Amino acid sequence: MKIRKSISASAIGLLFGSFMLLSPAVAQDNPTLSDAEVAHTAVTANQIDIDYAKIAQERSKDAEVLKFAETMASDHKAVIDQAVALVTKLGVTPEVNAVSKQLLSDAEKTKEMLRTKTGAAFNKAYIDNEVAYHKAVIAAVEGLLIPESENAELKSLLESIVPALQAHLEHAQMVQKDLNGK
Amino acid sequence: MKRLKPWLLPTGLYLLCLFLSGATSPPVSPKVHTVEISRMQFNPQVLVVSMGDTIEFVNKDMVTHDVTESSGKSWKSPALASGAKWRLVARKTADYYCSYHPVMKGKIEVK
Repeated sequence: MKIRKSISASAIGLLFGSFMLLSPAVAQDNPTLSDAEVAHTAVTANQIDIDYAKIAQERSKDAEVLKFAETMASDHKAVIDQAVALVTKLGVTPEVNAVSKQLLSDAEKTKEMLRTKTGAAFNKAYIDNEVAYHKAVIAAVEGLLIPESENAELKSLLESIVPALQAHLEHAQMVQKDLNGK
Repeated sequence: MKRLKPWLLPTGLYLLCLFLSGATSPPVSPKVHTVEISRMQFNPQVLVVSMGDTIEFVNKDMVTHDVTESSGKSWKSPALASGAKWRLVARKTADYYCSYHPVMKGKIEVK
């Protein structure tokens, strides 16, 4: 199952957009992703958004922001549960890799930034980040994780989560518009 | 010759009317329609039904959805986890959406 493909650093940089300008280690080592690494990256990306949602639930008092955060926590947990069920069935152990490490590293910085904000400034920062994050994750899933997946069931699972990510993005943009109007 | 009982005539006429009306326009029994929730959409997005028909919503996504009448005052399903179903009897035309994912919208048209 473990198949390795080369992907160009420029392509990855493009896919992950502004939030994930890959570290020199990722960019210069001509990274490759096995199915175990794709699975780890997918689970990591979902867990990061759950973590953002938890911060929102702690810091926001805005009903619309709280409802959005609740949906993010619930939906991304459902995706992780499906991914874990699949890798368990396939006998694959998700592997830490340069891409998932970079995602975690960037997420730590974002979480630190969010924790410095309160009130309307927090709501704006959280929702702005959700818009940017979902754009980047959609690009990464469609342009990197799906093409890199060797196993058909893993590929199918990744394809099935794109509509949810798209709905999250549109929902975040809706909340963003409402917040800007307040 | 026996005399007809006085109540027989109206009863007979009533039964005759019932028979004839049944023969010309058979009673229409309510139908059951299905709206599948999949890939973050209600399918079909617009459903045309008759008054009294039943609509069954089936969640085929991995995430939880619900079905909420747009004004928020008329009806709302409970949370529908993956695989869950919920039935609604159509009384009047209504727009609806998923309160978890407000970009998901649908419409029931009662003709």
